[in-house]
Amino acid sequence: MTDVSINHFTFHYPDSDVKVLNDINITFKSHHFSLLSGPSGSGKSTLLYFIAGLYPHFSGIDAVGDIKFGDTNIKDIPRQDVSKSVAMMFQNPNQQFAMDTVIHEMTFVLENLRIEPAKMKDIITHALEFCDIQKLRSRVINTLSGGEKQKVALACIVAMDPQVTVLDEPFASIDPGSRVDLINKLKILQEKHGKTIILADHDLTSYQNLVDEFYYLDPDTHKISLLDGERAEHFFKNFESTQTINKKVAIPSGDENAIIKINDFKLLPHHSLLLKLAHFDFYKQKTTLITGANGIGKSTLFNALTKLLPYEGTIAFDGKDIKKIRPLPYAKHVTLLFQDAENQFLNITVKEELDLSLANRTNTDYSQADVDDMLNKLDMAGKDDRIVYSLSEGQKKKLQIIEMLIMNPPVLLMDEPFKGLDYHSLEVVVGFLNRAKHDFHQTQIVISHQLSGLDTLIDYHATFKNQNLAYQEVIK
Amino acid sequence: MNPGMKLLLVMLIALEISFTQSLVVNCILIAVSLVYILTQHVSMKALFGIIFWPLFPAVGLFVSQWLYGSAGIHFAWILFTRIYGYVFLGATFTLTSSITDLSLTLEQDFHLPSKFAYGVLAAFNLMPKIVEEVQIIKTSALMRGEALHFWSPKLYFKSILSSIQWSQNLAEAMTSHGFVEDYPRTHYKVIRITALDWILFVVLFIIVQVLLFFIRY
Repeated sequence: MTDVSINHFTFHYPDSDVKVLNDINITFKSHHFSLLSGPSGSGKSTLLYFIAGLYPHFSGIDAVGDIKFGDTNIKDIPRQDVSKSVAMMFQNPNQQFAMDTVIHEMTFVLENLRIEPAKMKDIITHALEFCDIQKLRSRVINTLSGGEKQKVALACIVAMDPQVTVLDEPFASIDPGSRVDLINKLKILQEKHGKTIILADHDLTSYQNLVDEFYYLDPDTHKISLLDGERAEHFFKNFESTQTINKKVAIPSGDENAIIKINDFKLLPHHSLLLKLAHFDFYKQKTTLITGANGIGKSTLFNALTKLLPYEGTIAFDGKDIKKIRPLPYAKHVTLLFQDAENQFLNITVKEELDLSLANRTNTDYSQADVDDMLNKLDMAGKDDRIVYSLSEGQKKKLQIIEMLIMNPPVLLMDEPFKGLDYHSLEVVVGFLNRAKHDFHQTQIVISHQLSGLDTLIDYHATFKNQNLAYQEVIK
Repeated sequence: MNPGMKLLLVMLIALEISFTQSLVVNCILIAVSLVYILTQHVSMKALFGIIFWPLFPAVGLFVSQWLYGSAGIHFAWILFTRIYGYVFLGATFTLTSSITDLSLTLEQDFHLPSKFAYGVLAAFNLMPKIVEEVQIIKTSALMRGEALHFWSPKLYFKSILSSIQWSQNLAEAMTSHGFVEDYPRTHYKVIRITALDWILFVVLFIIVQVLLFFIRY
C-alpha cells in the first residue's frame, strides 16, 4: 500500500504573506482515483509538482511539512528512483517531450529508467496498444494534435509504470473525444492495474461517477478538504449551473448590421478541417458569445479573424476583404484579447503598460478619470510600479482587460476573458463591457466557458460544433 | 560514417582552407562534396538552396577583391570557391546526418554530459514552435498598436522570456520522464566509432594534407 500522505504542508513565496497552501493534511489513498478541484491559480499545480518530486528542485523554494509515499518521505527517495514511484502529465501538451518522434521519446524514457534495451520494444508496443495509438509510433510529435500528444504522454507514463500518476489539468486544451478516451484509460489503470491517480481540474465535466474522492482547495483559506458525498454533489451541481444561463437570445438574420462577413470559409490548420462555413455574419454593436468544447477550434477561428493563421475563403470587415487591409490598421479595428494575458504585455511595469495603451489608442473615449475608476473598481489602483509578470493570474487578467478597453477598438475579440477572475471581478468587467458597447458602440465577440454572470452582456449566441458555427437561442 | 567524426572532419578541413590558398584544392573539395551529397538522395530544393544562396556573398567577395583588392583575380577566385567550399563541406554533414544520431554519438562516444546532448536536441525540436511564438508576439503587439520588426528589442525581450519559460517546462518534463543529470542510462541504439570510421577519417584527412602540400595554385 502506498498512500500519498501530505502532512502539515505549508507553502508560500518568500516575498508574499499569502500562503498558497496552508497547513494541508490529506491522504490520497492507494489504488484510488482522486480529483483535486478549486479555481484556476489557487495552488493545485504547486501541490502536484511537490508530489511529483519536481519541486522544490525546480521552484528553488521549499515548503514546510512533508509528503510521504507509504512510509517513505519523498525527499528520501534517490532522485534516479523517483520516476518509479510517481510520474506527471502536464497541462501544456507542447512542452513535455524532448525528442522528435513518438518512438524516440518513449525510448528516451526507458533509457532514463535504465531498462535493458532488449525489453524496450515490447514495453513500447504494449504501452502504445494500451493507449490505442500504435499508428502514431513513428510520427513526429510536432505534427500531432493536442489530444494525440496527451495520449502519447500517457503512453510514456504507462511505459514507465509508476505507482502514482499525477495529472495537472491535462484536458485543458484537447478535444472532447480525446478527453473521454484518456479518462477511460486512467480508470482502467486505476481499477485493473491498481494505480493511484491524482488529477487536478477546475472543470468538473464528467467526473461525477468516476472519481473515488473529491478534494477541494478553498481559494480563501488555502486549505484542502475531502468532501463527503453530499458536499461533492453540491459542487458538481453548482458547476453545472455555471455551464448554462437561463436566457433566450434572439437569432440574428439579414446582413444590414453585419460588421464581419465570412464567406465560403474553410479553416484547415495542419491539414485537418476544423471549420467549414458557407456564410456567417457577426453583428455591429452586439456581444456574440461563442461556445463549444475544448480543442474544437474556437481560438483558431479568432486566429483567422486576426490574420494570424491562413484560411480559405473570404473574411470581410466593414465591406472590405481583410487580406487587403494592412496588418497594423486592421489590428486597430479588430483587436484580440489573448487568452494568455502575458502574451499581451510589452512592457515591464503596470504604469508603462497603461501608458502604452493611452499612447497608442485611436480615440480618447475613456478619460483619465475613467481609467482610474476602472483600476479602483478592480482593485488594481496603486500598483503602478509592480512588474507585470509578478502579478497574480487574476491581476494580470484584470490589467489586460483594462488595457484593451482603453484602446477601445470598434471590434474586440475576447478569448476566455473571465478565466481566473473571481465572481465579483467578473461582474465588474461585465459592467465595463456593457458600457463600451452602449456608450462607445463596440462590437464584442467572446469565447467563454464561464457563463453564469454573463446574462446582461450576451446578445447573440453561436455554437461551435461538428465543424460548423451556428446561432442558437438557448445558451448552454 | 559516424556523425560526430564527420562533423569533426568537416570542421577541420574548413578551418584549413581558411588559411591556405589553393584554388584547385578548393574546387576538388567542392566537387567531392557535391558527388557525396548526390549519392545521398537529398531533395532538389535543398541542393538548389546550397548552390543559390551562397552566390550573393561569394560574388560580393569576388567582385570586391577583383576590382578593389591588391592580390589579383586569382585570389578573388580563391575567396569565391572558399565560400562554396564551406557551404558544401557543411552540407555533407547537415544534409545527410540526423541531429538525433549526432547527440547520441556525442553522448556515448565523445562523453559529452547527457544533459547537454539532450538539451540541445530538445531545443532543436522546439524550433518550429519558436517560429510560431514569434508570430504570436508580433500579432499581440499589433493589438497594442505597435508593429514589431526583427530589429525591435521588445521582440527579443518577449522571445527570451518565452524561451526561459519553455526551458523550465522542458527541464521539468524531462525530469518527469525519468531523466536525471549525470546518472547512467541504458542505450537502445548504440552508436560506436568503428575502425572503418577511424580509417576513413585519417585517410581523408591525409589526402587533403597531401593535396594542399603539392597543389599550390
